[in-house]
Amino acid sequence: MNASALERLEMLLEKVQKPARYIGGEMNAVLKPWDSVKIRFAFCFPDTYEIAMSHLGMKILYHLINERSDALCERVCMPDADMADLMRQEQVPLFGLESRNELKDFDIVGFTLQYEMSFSNILEMLDLGNIPVYGRDRGEDMPLVVAGGPCAFNPEPLAPFIDAFMIGDGEEVMHELIDTVRDCKEKGASKKDTLRALAQVEGVYVPSLYEAAYNEDGTLSSFAPIDDAAPAVVKKRVVKNLSNAVYPDKIPVPYTDIVHDRMVLEIMRGCTRGCRFCQAGMLYRPVRERSMDRLLQLADSLQKSTGYEEMSLSSLSSGDFTCLPQLISELMKRYQDKRVSVSLPSMRIDNIVKQSLEETQRVKKSGLTLAPEAGTQRLRDVINKGVTEEDLIRAVTDAFECGWSSVKLYFMMGLPTETDEDLQGIGHLAKKVVDAYYSLPKEQRAKGLRVTCSASVFVPKPFTPFQWAGQDTIETVHEKQEALRQYLKIKCVNFNWHESHLSMLEACIARGDRRIGDVIYHAWKRGCRMDGWNEHFKMDQWLAAFEDCQLDPSFYAYRERPYEELLPWQFIDAGVSQEYLRRENEKAKAGTVTRDCRHGCNGCGLHKWDVCDWVQNPPLKDTDQTSAPIFD
Amino acid sequence: MKMIVVFEKAPRLRHIGHLDLMRAMQRALRRSNLPLRYSQGFNPHILLNFAAPLSVGMPGKREIMEVPIEGTMSAEMFKERLSAALPPDLPCLSVHRVDDRHPAPMAQLSAATYEAKLADVPNGLEEAIQRFVAQDEIPAIRKTKTGMKPCDLRPMIYQLSLKDDKLLMTLALCEKATCKPDLLLSSLFEFAQMERPRMLITRLQLLGEEQGVFKPLETL
Repeated sequence: MNASALERLEMLLEKVQKPARYIGGEMNAVLKPWDSVKIRFAFCFPDTYEIAMSHLGMKILYHLINERSDALCERVCMPDADMADLMRQEQVPLFGLESRNELKDFDIVGFTLQYEMSFSNILEMLDLGNIPVYGRDRGEDMPLVVAGGPCAFNPEPLAPFIDAFMIGDGEEVMHELIDTVRDCKEKGASKKDTLRALAQVEGVYVPSLYEAAYNEDGTLSSFAPIDDAAPAVVKKRVVKNLSNAVYPDKIPVPYTDIVHDRMVLEIMRGCTRGCRFCQAGMLYRPVRERSMDRLLQLADSLQKSTGYEEMSLSSLSSGDFTCLPQLISELMKRYQDKRVSVSLPSMRIDNIVKQSLEETQRVKKSGLTLAPEAGTQRLRDVINKGVTEEDLIRAVTDAFECGWSSVKLYFMMGLPTETDEDLQGIGHLAKKVVDAYYSLPKEQRAKGLRVTCSASVFVPKPFTPFQWAGQDTIETVHEKQEALRQYLKIKCVNFNWHESHLSMLEACIARGDRRIGDVIYHAWKRGCRMDGWNEHFKMDQWLAAFEDCQLDPSFYAYRERPYEELLPWQFIDAGVSQEYLRRENEKAKAGTVTRDCRHGCNGCGLHKWDVCDWVQNPPLKDTDQTSAPIFD
Repeated sequence: MKMIVVFEKAPRLRHIGHLDLMRAMQRALRRSNLPLRYSQGFNPHILLNFAAPLSVGMPGKREIMEVPIEGTMSAEMFKERLSAALPPDLPCLSVHRVDDRHPAPMAQLSAATYEAKLADVPNGLEEAIQRFVAQDEIPAIRKTKTGMKPCDLRPMIYQLSLKDDKLLMTLALCEKATCKPDLLLSSLFEFAQMERPRMLITRLQLLGEEQGVFKPLETL
């Protein structure tokens, strides 16, 4: 940024809310001399600083890139609405937090895609950075715009804006991407040639090298590469050994309050449970654990380099980590004197160990959140959640005995096959949790019971067994929400529900095709941004954008897809096979559960990849035979 | 024993509020691995006292905090270990060792010096300052927790002068009487009937009083 823009930026900081979001300079932030490297990477998080700085993936890749001597990485976050407006008005371009260099001066601008409803922010950020939003409008002088993260598994809605996507684990493909771009830059290769080189990197998808065609009914008729360099199938990347994978030993420590202000230890990646609604559970397969030695070593460096007072053990289902009790005891032993508390944010109801509850609260008590997901055993079997009412009651009783008095319960509404009985079941469960509290003698329980029930609207996602399902219409969702409100009129129970319009739009984008890109563009042109924030969400403008493009949101959200239909994300090989997903969907309809694959391989597709250690040696030997494997 | 730490809050951090600054210092102290003292209670925290919170938006050249420690240690050693743990915009300038009975910095504080760097200097400002300080009384309205209260600024202004593009001020800062530079400057420009220029106000130094003379707080 030039001196006058810098001065204007300083003046804006006097006017905006929470200016500390925009100042950088945190402990452990990495500021490298701009001219000391060949590749400058802007890691863009399409949400505010508080969300961005809570995200583990950014910390890993920030560290990974800055460890390279030939590259630098800076952070760029979505400015809040007040700041974005002032930046545009005062012509202050979007900038890297570390050096305040403007976005378009970086070689690579990389977005992480965590949530569909942050997609409009990607356009807003590019525009604030004076970078044309459509890839086809960007010349040779513009940075390469790339993206990765869970939402990249259906990249099509962003295809018009992003030059290249990275599919799957980022730790290895990021290096290969930077190497390739660096080599192309040194050779003076054109943007087109750089993209062709990138298309040959495993796990990289370059949308401009593919073409989609549609049937009259709007479904996809064909999708294929139009360039020799592009593979017909893009295979996701998997880091085979997590203990050897790069992990930051220092992370920036923000000055201002963020959502998760603590050090994070990713103890494992992936989940073996196979919940049928859960996209993360399918995308992050196979399960890989980090070794105790590595985790203790990382905990030590992170504690010393950050001074954080809380350490959170992160994964999709931390209770399934093989050595969890040993790890917790060891961490507690090491850090009690330093007053570091250990928290476990993702525990399943059926394996909350009472010992873990007791251990983690010895230093500081954190909130307890449980996710039964559905109100009846029938529906929990449909979604393969595999927990029972007894599990839940035992877990909350343990928690109440350990001194908790506030419990959050997460549910989904609108799951396939759901009936009114399932909604009533949510009310019954909440009531039983309240009863469990009052069944304890008064002196054994903490005062002030609070049970918070949250019910989100089910959004079918790609690469799950429910990827073919239709979503409930907004009218149906409203009726169900009203019914639930009645069923949850219970003393000490609060009910939170989600904005149904937002979930409908999320469903459109999650399973959208290339044409949805234009809808996102029109919505953004109509002023949509920060859609994930209630105060900024404009449903009427989104609907108008669909009309601008002559597309029907119900086609994307409500329609049940036949198995024969060509799905927009089908060209991506996520390891989990379409056959497996279909089989699971049929079992869901029959209400049959599938065992946790730690009891024995279920043949999800990844067994063919030589990445899953447990195919031959399942760790739980008590051979649960609820479902015999069907290998294809 | 206690360590009196003089540090700078650099201009980049001027938007960081007092509570955030306190947390940043606590984390730096935790990184330093110094023998700190903790509060009693369910959520023990590091004992740490600041002489005076800085207003949001204001850098501080020589801010002061007091850190009680277990056992004994040289000021040099303390400074070395703390410096290694501090972020670049919060450098430690000096450390002074005192015993536990030494009064808290907040109790000894009586005034502070400030500079206001003006984007442009209005004509006749110097003359206006002379007339301004020659008044016997400078009535103003200050915002307090309980509402707007009338007050007299004059006895709280120990010094006010213009040097090039900088206004230099020494103003009362203690429990009984505090004159915020912002309020004083609004009052001055209103008195002078001049538009208030853009400016950056920096707190330069915290002062205590010894036998009627102001001295840097850390030297008392």
